[in-house]
Amino acid sequence: MNKRQVRVGMVSFVIAASFLLAGCSSSPSEEQMRQLDELKQEHAALQREVSQKEEQKAALEREVAAKNAKLKKCNDDKQVVQSRLSK
Amino acid sequence: MKTQRMVVLVIAISSLLFAVGSAQEKMTKEDWQREVDRYTQMKTDLQVKVAELNRQIESLQNESTKLDADYTRCKDELYAMVGSNAQEAAAFAAEIEAAENKANELLRLSDAELMQRSSEVTDLAAKAKGFRSNKLSLLPEFSDRLDALDQKIESLQRALAGAEKTYTVGTWARDRDCLWNIAKKKDIYNNAWLWPKIWMGNKDKIRNPDLIYPGQKLRVPSGNALTAEEKAAARRHYMKN
Repeated sequence: MNKRQVRVGMVSFVIAASFLLAGCSSSPSEEQMRQLDELKQEHAALQREVSQKEEQKAALEREVAAKNAKLKKCNDDKQVVQSRLSK
Repeated sequence: MKTQRMVVLVIAISSLLFAVGSAQEKMTKEDWQREVDRYTQMKTDLQVKVAELNRQIESLQNESTKLDADYTRCKDELYAMVGSNAQEAAAFAAEIEAAENKANELLRLSDAELMQRSSEVTDLAAKAKGFRSNKLSLLPEFSDRLDALDQKIESLQRALAGAEKTYTVGTWARDRDCLWNIAKKKDIYNNAWLWPKIWMGNKDKIRNPDLIYPGQKLRVPSGNALTAEEKAAARRHYMKN
């Protein structure tokens, strides 16, 4: 093995070690990862709740629109009956 | 020499790739913090949205309850305008529904079957006329249904008129027309004894079955036997004479 080969090997080792060290030194702990997972689960649950509430709201809007139409028809009927009675 | 060089090179490349891979897979604390901040913000936004949706849903539920009360009040006022109430309206609706069902049942009959039940059409027409005397019939919810019922009855009456044979009375001098002779005709009943059928089918035109007049247009009810009512009428007539 000549000097050049040894140098290439060492440089590669140093680079690899620095990457590994850099990776290890700033990783979050298991507790922190668990905290992030819980946060993601809470977020997903809230998204489901929002969709459910939006569906409930849309159904109520349809119900209210139908009831408004019924009430309008009833008021129109009152006018019709009034005119029929006055004949 | 060459083999040694290759071994060194392979080890160097492998350890480099392994190190880079490890560094990429692992999340840094800064990445973690960014993710935590991002999810916390999204969670807060969603919580605000849920609160807003809850407020809107509650408002819609209140509006729906108020509309129910308004509608009940409006209906009560509507019935009161014709001197009625919800119970009477429900009973009236049930009567109309029964008449509608009867009309539908009669409409499904063949002409021959309808002819046999023509009295039911007459009863139904009288019933429909009676409905009009109820002030509740002024309400559009009922007047629309009564209009439709009248149309069905008219169609039944048209079907009856179309299915019913008629005969125009000729003169005694030329045609020798009396109920007996008319019933005897081949194209009528081909049976003189069925004359009471023509009499009963034309009670509105014939008071005395011995007296019919030229030009009278008589209905010829279908059937090949006398009904109990027709037999009784004939018996009464024979006894009278």
